[in-house]
Amino acid sequence: MKTVHLYIALACISLLGACTDVIEVDVPEAPIRLVVEASLDWEQGTTGNEQSIQLRTSTPYFQNQDNPPVSGASVEVVNLDTGETFIFTEGTPGNYSIDTFVPILGNRYQLDILYNGERYRATETLFPVSPFTEISQSTEEGEDDVLEVNVSFQDPETMANWYYLRFQARGDLLPELYYIEDEFIDGNEFSIFYEKIEDEDQNIQEFQPGDVVDIQFYGISEDYYNYLQLLIDQFDSAGEPFSATPVPLVGNCINLDNPDNIAYGYFRVTEKTSAAYTFN
Amino acid sequence: MTTLSKSIKRWHILFFFALFGVQLLSAQQNFTISGTLTDQQNGETLFGSTVFLKGTTIGVVTNEYGFYSLTAPAGKYTLVFSYLGYQDVLRDIDLSQNQKLDIELQSTSYQLTEVEVTAEEPERAILRKPEMSVSKLNISTVKQMPVVLGEVDVIKSLQVLPGVTANGEGSAGFHVRGGAADQNLVLLDEAIIYNTSHLLGFFSVFNADAVKDLKLYKGGIPARFGGRVSSVLDVRQKDGNRKNFALTGGIGVISSRLAAEGPLFGDKGSFLVAGRSSYLDVLLKLAGEKNTAGFYDLNLKANYELGEKNRLFLSGYFGRDNFNLEDSFNSSYGNASGNLRWNHIFNDRLFSNLSLIYSNYDYNLDIDDFELDWDSSIRNFNLKYDLKYYLSDRFKLDFGVSTISYLFNPGEIRPTSETSSVNPLKLDEKRALESGVYVNAEHKLSDRLTAQYGIRLSHFMRLGGQSLSVYENNQPLVYDETRRIYLRTEPIGETDFAKSDRIATFQNFEPRAALAYQLNDNSSIKLGYSRAAQYIHLLSNTASVTPLDVWAPSGKFIEPQLSNQYALGYFRNFKDKMYSLEMEVYYKDVDNRIDYIDGSDLIGNNTIETEILNGESRAYGLEFLFRKNEGPLTGWLAYTLSKSEQRTPGGIAGGPGINDGAWYNTPFDRTHDFSMTAAYRLSDKWSLGANAIFQTGRPVTYPNGQYEYEGVSIASFGLRNADRLPAYHRLDVSATYRPTRRPDKRWKGEWVLSIYNVYNRKNAAAISFGQNFETGANEATRTAIFGMVPSLTYNFKF
Repeated sequence: MKTVHLYIALACISLLGACTDVIEVDVPEAPIRLVVEASLDWEQGTTGNEQSIQLRTSTPYFQNQDNPPVSGASVEVVNLDTGETFIFTEGTPGNYSIDTFVPILGNRYQLDILYNGERYRATETLFPVSPFTEISQSTEEGEDDVLEVNVSFQDPETMANWYYLRFQARGDLLPELYYIEDEFIDGNEFSIFYEKIEDEDQNIQEFQPGDVVDIQFYGISEDYYNYLQLLIDQFDSAGEPFSATPVPLVGNCINLDNPDNIAYGYFRVTEKTSAAYTFN
Repeated sequence: MTTLSKSIKRWHILFFFALFGVQLLSAQQNFTISGTLTDQQNGETLFGSTVFLKGTTIGVVTNEYGFYSLTAPAGKYTLVFSYLGYQDVLRDIDLSQNQKLDIELQSTSYQLTEVEVTAEEPERAILRKPEMSVSKLNISTVKQMPVVLGEVDVIKSLQVLPGVTANGEGSAGFHVRGGAADQNLVLLDEAIIYNTSHLLGFFSVFNADAVKDLKLYKGGIPARFGGRVSSVLDVRQKDGNRKNFALTGGIGVISSRLAAEGPLFGDKGSFLVAGRSSYLDVLLKLAGEKNTAGFYDLNLKANYELGEKNRLFLSGYFGRDNFNLEDSFNSSYGNASGNLRWNHIFNDRLFSNLSLIYSNYDYNLDIDDFELDWDSSIRNFNLKYDLKYYLSDRFKLDFGVSTISYLFNPGEIRPTSETSSVNPLKLDEKRALESGVYVNAEHKLSDRLTAQYGIRLSHFMRLGGQSLSVYENNQPLVYDETRRIYLRTEPIGETDFAKSDRIATFQNFEPRAALAYQLNDNSSIKLGYSRAAQYIHLLSNTASVTPLDVWAPSGKFIEPQLSNQYALGYFRNFKDKMYSLEMEVYYKDVDNRIDYIDGSDLIGNNTIETEILNGESRAYGLEFLFRKNEGPLTGWLAYTLSKSEQRTPGGIAGGPGINDGAWYNTPFDRTHDFSMTAAYRLSDKWSLGANAIFQTGRPVTYPNGQYEYEGVSIASFGLRNADRLPAYHRLDVSATYRPTRRPDKRWKGEWVLSIYNVYNRKNAAAISFGQNFETGANEATRTAIFGMVPSLTYNFKF
């Protein structure tokens, strides 16, 4: 519903010739924190043995193109149901990987990181995902005469499901992210579309025949759904002039030794399916 | 009788007399002279004009209906009637019996030559009114100020007064002494107006052609007003020309106005009909724009005099805004009000007014993309009876009652698509009854010392006819330690309230007191205290007031706001009132000021209680106003240095609250607020006007860092409202050309060229942060609404 505010803002701005300019602004600087990108995604049809975790630090707001990696941390994941431990080793700086991971649906996994003498821990459960039933293109949805890609999947009945869906046009820097829960669609086939609307200011082009879009679809836990909901809402409303104060995003990686030194990012364990679609 | 009981009896009598003035002890008889003051040209009553007995300190000010009543010992006097902008009238009277004297004053602006204020009135009785923290604006002063897009804007003109700020363009509402926009009681002929602007804040709902004058009480709110803690803006419409039929209007770049007024029922009454409409929608369509916006309003008033002691008034207002964004987004909203008033003069000392008022504000939203349709409204009926008793020269008493019945209809949301993140809901209708009874005395304690003291007892009942959620431990939201955010809790049940039930009842005593001490003929000091309660609140969690903001009554989860305001002021006139200086310091605290948790979502939310935390706010400051009242150059300089902050602890929800429970700036905090307005009469044909405003930027929350996750940059945010937008400032100028006209010609016209924001400053209405789509680098984008906007208007009078 935050997009409703966007409409009001758009209405007022576009109607009265308001203008937007990129300007220099001084912003405060918060202490640097650890960022955990621990996404153990098991692609359907593969063994899921190869997984990697990235560790980096946060930066001052306008320096987001640096991405200082975190080296020398110790990273391991334990399957709490089988007791099996997986140790990730650092390859390129900040990149910790393994090729012997064993993903089992429904199992609980625990991540342990030791960095700068502090231990961080997170727990997650591996949820399944439904494969795509159909991927197609059309022009009727959303804006007329604009190409969009439609994806459909079948939600399993009686089970509570949460999903994360990601579209990224190849060649674009920024993706389109969706969080989906099955409260209203339980047991149904569900479709969602993605189109790009032309925006001269930001140099966004509509889809043309020949364009490729990468689609990734994950089955996630309720906790991760809650986290993503806040993250995606904030990402979507970034740049929007009149929105409410955003919520601080605290992931599931808890600092056991110094709780105030929080870690950003999230540890997730998911089943995923992906596709690449080419427009014609 | 025993000696003791005799002396007790005498004590009682003495005490009674002492309380009601020295006058009653004297052997001399007192008589009363009363009447109504009107404008000679059009019969409009004059509010706030001075009536006094020359050479004495006996005097009074006319009330909203032009009525005055003066009681003095028998004798011969010269009665002086005086009002700024009009020529004084002197009448010799022989006060040997009660008498009635109605007077007409002639406006000086109707004269072709400047009329000197007669030197014959050196001993003006300076009325030591203990009224303070009040600004009275003549509509003629407002009309001289430069305008934006050709429309004279009453609300924008308030911003050049000290202690009053606004959020800039694109934002409705105004802020008084660091208070929120919903803390201002805005009345149009006593009817409550809920949204004071058209087109999201670009224009005000008041058509200047229909307005007679306005008074803004920034503090020291008189006991007859209740229901809001920051201020009262009392706008009065013109009654209509009782002498002649007249037409006034204007043609502007975006909108036009036309007002017709004239006598009714012979010379026993008059009427006024004024309309205004934008043709912005037509212009935009012609320009090929798929988006349109427009507004219109209609002001109506009629009055009828039933004999000498009775007068009836019927007023109405209807205004509407419409937005259409490429047919996929449609919004329409507006105020409507009507009232019937009966002035009754019981005798020459007791004046009364009975009003029956209806007020409605509704908005409608239609979004195709979400396939959402939303209707919402707030409606009230108000019955009030106000009396004023001019007991003696030293003592005046006001008293009365008021009751308002509210119906809040937060609306029904109908989504059609399953992906809509909005749940289909009929939000509960809420009903309430707000009543008040007050008594207030204006008491001249001595020649130099005047006091005003009164009390208002207010009562609020939140009525049933809906059901309310019940939460475990009475916690609609709870702090989650691990996620470090406030989470909404699911209700464990519901309680049904029948229409005759009461969900909650509140009652408050609101004492109001002020004291004025005349230091000498030219200066005085005043101090005041007032307590006010506010029972209905506008929930708005964005920086800008939008039509989607919801009015909510106090009840089980929201407590009434209670404020205490203390003020101390120094007032001085120079050079026989040519210049005046007003300085005031104030301190105001408000209990039960709610604020919204991070990420709160108010739209379509039936359970607002899950988004709010209860706290308190305080504001304090120094206001400074220096005016030049007479001469070809008039205007003023205003400066306010102030602070407005709030604190919101966790309360029953636990946790640290907002900003860790520490004080933080409210969105209305403006450290420095400087404004200047000037009007210069260059010649008979030309006059110039200018406005200059400088305000410290609005408090905002900036990001304090970022990190990459899932290929995108995620911002982390600093303390709430700890940063500021760049300072807001602009200069507006205007030039008015009145072609020479022969005095016998009825048609009078003038051209007004106005330039808003002359040096084209892009004042930031908002600054937003996000990634550049092409480079991925984070950048800050400033949204500014208006750059330089010239406009040309032709105004006419017939």
